Amino acid sequence: MYYVAETKIDKCSTYKCNQCVLFCPEPNTLMFLEQKNFAYVNQSRCKGCAICVYVCGDLLKRNCIEMVMATVSE
Amino acid sequence: MSLKYVTITTGFENYMPKDYVDLVRFGQFGKEYDIQELGTFKELVEEHPMCAGCFMAYFIRVFYASLPNPEDTIVIGTAGCARLALSQAAVPFIYGNYGDTNAVASGLKRALKIRFPDKEKDVVVVAGDGGLMDIGFGMTMHSWFRRENFTTIMVDNEVYGNTGGQESGMTRKGIQLKMAPKGKKFDKINAIELAKDAGCVYVARVAPTNPKRLAKTIKRAILAARHFGPTFIHAYTSCNIEYSIPTEKVLEDARMREKQDFSFVEWMTDEVKEYFEQIENTKKEEKQKV
Ligand SMILES: Cc1ncc(C[n+]2csc(CCOP(=O)(O)OP(=O)(O)O)c2C)c(N)n1
Ligand code: SF4
Ligand code: SF4
Ligand code: SF4
Ligand SMILES: [Mg+2]
Repeated sequence: MYYVAETKIDKCSTYKCNQCVLFCPEPNTLMFLEQKNFAYVNQSRCKGCAICVYVCGDLLKRNCIEMVMATVSE
Repeated sequence: MSLKYVTITTGFENYMPKDYVDLVRFGQFGKEYDIQELGTFKELVEEHPMCAGCFMAYFIRVFYASLPNPEDTIVIGTAGCARLALSQAAVPFIYGNYGDTNAVASGLKRALKIRFPDKEKDVVVVAGDGGLMDIGFGMTMHSWFRRENFTTIMVDNEVYGNTGGQESGMTRKGIQLKMAPKGKKFDKINAIELAKDAGCVYVARVAPTNPKRLAKTIKRAILAARHFGPTFIHAYTSCNIEYSIPTEKVLEDARMREKQDFSFVEWMTDEVKEYFEQIENTKKEEKQKV
């Protein structure tokens, strides 16, 4: 059991921003869908550091990412 | 053509691993992405075993996304944490014995110049503070004295991270570490001044707080090494394990250190400055034409 990041895509897409994506330490993990303007997490690659939460919450006060318990997908 | 080696033979697309197909279709080969486009293309570096929240891993991510010419680049690393990720990228990687990176890079760059006289092949060393400023100190310095045409990047976490927390020459005075319980007695080595004195033509010190600036610095160091001589980047890349930094505070720590003692420094010879001005002017003119 461990935590992974999850973005709130509806809220995120209103900001037209990709700042968290630029600070994730992991490659190909925190992605950005340009057509719809939101960030999303490739959870099988996320290591749960929460740097993205610091960027979106503490620095930008946008609070569009939270850490959630990873679930097993089939 | 250099790009030939990445393209998939017709008919084999369905049998190649997905990550490889993505790399060829949506990756960096033959294209130049802006660092601000991270997250919209397939990156060269893959999953790796560096710790969660490691800012050395973050630096390496930005490093690979900033290479001016990844298909013609060879990266040299050594023992230490960085090679755990450096070796997981779609860019040729050579493991130099600990302390030997800059000797290996010297030989390699010279050989590449002979083998490919009409082509630029970039050689970049990425190694730790222990590897470059302690055990590899002599090799590092002599590659600079000899004015070898490659880039050296020191990912400085101020500790021997990979072997559990011994002090290095780059550890700050007074710092206690797991395997240095009495605290460091000497000052941190002034690496950027050494690099200038030893003959580097482009020297920068940077904390990973601003991806745009980071990418520009990496590109500049590589381009200057092609034409003028050795180049050096001293990057602060914290070790959250040995310095007990909670992972969610790693960026905050980098921002704090940048204010305290890791402010951005960029120094270059007049010749290199002129070269960059020329390139930037040509780019501007091209843009205006469009
Ligand atoms: C010739 C040699 N001596 C010693 C070692 C053991 N060793 C492995 S990693 C390391 C220290 C790494 O410290 P640094 O270069 O700062 O890299 P970091 O892990 O901190 O990124 C040492 C001493 C080795 N692998 N080879
Ligand atoms: S920083 Fe926040 S608002 Fe910006 S892209 Fe990331 S999740 Fe969305
Ligand atoms: S928790 Fe860390 S690894 Fe996961 S998406 Fe956020 S920054 Fe990236
Ligand atoms: S030990 Fe330190 S430098 Fe090495 S991967 Fe872990 S956090 Fe990064
Ligand atoms: Mg180190």
